[in-house]
Amino acid sequence: MKKKLSIRNNGMIWILPAFLFLIIMIYYSIFFTFNLSTMDWDGLSPTMERVGFANYTKMFKDMVFWKAIKNTIVYFAITFVVQNFLGFVFAAILHSDVKLPTVHKCLIFIPTILAPATMAPVFRLMFSPQGMLQKFFDFVHIPITVDWLSKPQTALYVLMAIVVWEFTGMSFILYYAAMSQIDKEMLEAAQIDGAGNIRTLWTMVFPGCKGTTVSLAMLGVIGALKTFDIPYLITTGGPDHATEFLGTYIYRQGIRQSHLGYAAALSVMLLVMAVVGAFLTNKANKGD
Amino acid sequence: MKRRNSLLMALLLTASMVFTACGSAEGASAGTSSDSTAAAATSESSEASTEAGGKADLVWWGWTPGSPLNEQYIAEFNKSFPDTKITWKQTTVDDYDAAIKPALANGEGVDIFEVSAGSANGGVGIFGGQAINMEEALKNYLGDDYRDKLNEASLNSMTVNGELKALGVGTVYAGNLWINQDLFDKYNVKVPTNFEEWKAACDTFKANGIIGFVQGAGQGAFNMDTYHAICDNIEPGLFTKATRGEAEWTDPVFVQALDLWKKLFDEGIMQDGALGIQQYPEANNMFLSGQAAMVMMGSWYTMNCLPDTMRANMEAASSTDEPFAMVPINFPDIAGTGNTGYVFCDIDYATAVSVNASDVQAATDFALWLGASEEGQQMIADSLNLVPVLKSVSPNWDNVVLTNPEKQNKPVQEYLTNAMANPDNPRFGGISADLNQAMMDVLAGVASGTLSSEDGAARLAAVE
Repeated sequence: MKKKLSIRNNGMIWILPAFLFLIIMIYYSIFFTFNLSTMDWDGLSPTMERVGFANYTKMFKDMVFWKAIKNTIVYFAITFVVQNFLGFVFAAILHSDVKLPTVHKCLIFIPTILAPATMAPVFRLMFSPQGMLQKFFDFVHIPITVDWLSKPQTALYVLMAIVVWEFTGMSFILYYAAMSQIDKEMLEAAQIDGAGNIRTLWTMVFPGCKGTTVSLAMLGVIGALKTFDIPYLITTGGPDHATEFLGTYIYRQGIRQSHLGYAAALSVMLLVMAVVGAFLTNKANKGD
Repeated sequence: MKRRNSLLMALLLTASMVFTACGSAEGASAGTSSDSTAAAATSESSEASTEAGGKADLVWWGWTPGSPLNEQYIAEFNKSFPDTKITWKQTTVDDYDAAIKPALANGEGVDIFEVSAGSANGGVGIFGGQAINMEEALKNYLGDDYRDKLNEASLNSMTVNGELKALGVGTVYAGNLWINQDLFDKYNVKVPTNFEEWKAACDTFKANGIIGFVQGAGQGAFNMDTYHAICDNIEPGLFTKATRGEAEWTDPVFVQALDLWKKLFDEGIMQDGALGIQQYPEANNMFLSGQAAMVMMGSWYTMNCLPDTMRANMEAASSTDEPFAMVPINFPDIAGTGNTGYVFCDIDYATAVSVNASDVQAATDFALWLGASEEGQQMIADSLNLVPVLKSVSPNWDNVVLTNPEKQNKPVQEYLTNAMANPDNPRFGGISADLNQAMMDVLAGVASGTLSSEDGAARLAAVE
């Protein structure tokens, strides 16, 4: 009797409809996607052909799939390091005596709130050989041709630069908040003991922000895995799949080529990688 | 008691949410279960609705030609059919498939929708399953000799499993270039007819701060047009044969064509960074704003010969200049074979009537009016956006006034006449979605140097 009352008293009963609805929708969707991944279906025809694990076999032999995985890893590794380094440095600087701190905070954070869809045409123009960047180089007589988006060797790095520009504000704001929680007396004690600014930052402040770094890593892993808007809007995954990610490839296969079954298999793989990535980063956080 | 009531409320709420979701899902799946059953059912319901009130309220989905032309077509249609209200719902060309697929699967809100041939967006092979067979309606409208009255491609490319799933509205031709004749005259540049002249023209324009030839090679469909044109320049018709399985993609012609394609990049005919920009909007904007002198576009670009249309499109390209004289030219003979003047065509778009249309008869009336009536087709012809599918209709040149009639009338009329006389040579009509993707990949790979021409041809041949 007591147990029943406790269920009611802690409010579980009131969230039950939404909770069940959510569970049904999420798990049903996952099951549906997995089931679809064993089919050959164009998304509209009334018949679906059961193909077993053929879509998975095809996926592991698909060069574009592996290119998307490689791009995701490179993209995560570089954007995570650069973005968080810059965010951490900006946060540290703004914790010192800087003039007009609010203006600086706004300037750093504004790119984060700009929609990629609105910025994509700007970047396409900026990084075209007829664009603003090229005109700047021409003006200062630097012999560089800004055709980086058209080259498979450089296109991914341009996208990473755009992402770093866009999301450094997020890292900054989280590090800024984390640094506010660090005991100032401890930092003063370290400095009295002779530690310089860099050493204090590296040995005292950075470890103090470990939780934030792990959270950012988890967000970064998930963000890298579901990357879609920036590559799709700027390069459409090209040239020659040089900026293909799992998200863009799922869209290409599912919508453009109407291989819904194959797109579902790619989606299942994406889900598995997201869960593994979240698990590993979470474990790293608890391991301390 | 209170606790029991709370539990009951919670369970009822949960059950109602689940059953509501299941109910709509069942409704949606019923719509796709059987075309014929659905068609029969909707046919009955449409008769009932027509009998009940005689008014129809339809939604027409599509991506082209876009407002305000579609609204103008509807207004003209309403002069003959005042009781049919049609709402035009437009998506971008890239978003069309993603938007229409769930809308059709849902079975509501789509009465008429645009489809295209082959692997282009809105491919009839994919979406035709959701459309009624229009053959009987067309036969009743045009007579038993309807096949003689319409462009062959408009019927063949819209036939899926023996059923005519949509009525073509107009054809587009590609495989030619458009040039800014005013710029050619200003800088005294010879119109290119071969590789050397093309390169020389580009060099002259570059020296004057203008891009010679512009192509948005980041948008694969237009690369396929250029590649198809090169293949036809080497051996006319072989490209089409390969799409039909009558020739091998590993044939030396296709390897040579890939070499020539690469040469366009290496020799500076393609502008710097071509692979990093899209044909729309970037390349289109560069040409219309006078920054580039040549562009690879097809017959749909003819509408820009009309001063008002061109002015509007130039403004969209951020140019406030006056419209200029643009004229079509043959793809230069870059292979040195003498085979020039070949173009390839598809139905640009066709009108399909959904099996779930709220009023199938009214929707069919509209599709017939747009694709098979003299008045509807004349409107299409005079807009110069498409070449009409009804053979008896052609642009009324007495009413159509071009920007610079002296420079444009002759080449534009010759171009359209030549295009319509070209033999069976589909643009995307014979290309599957997988071959389409493979070709775009190969062309980007060869152009960027990550793939050899031989490997590229082998990759095309490997497509199932």
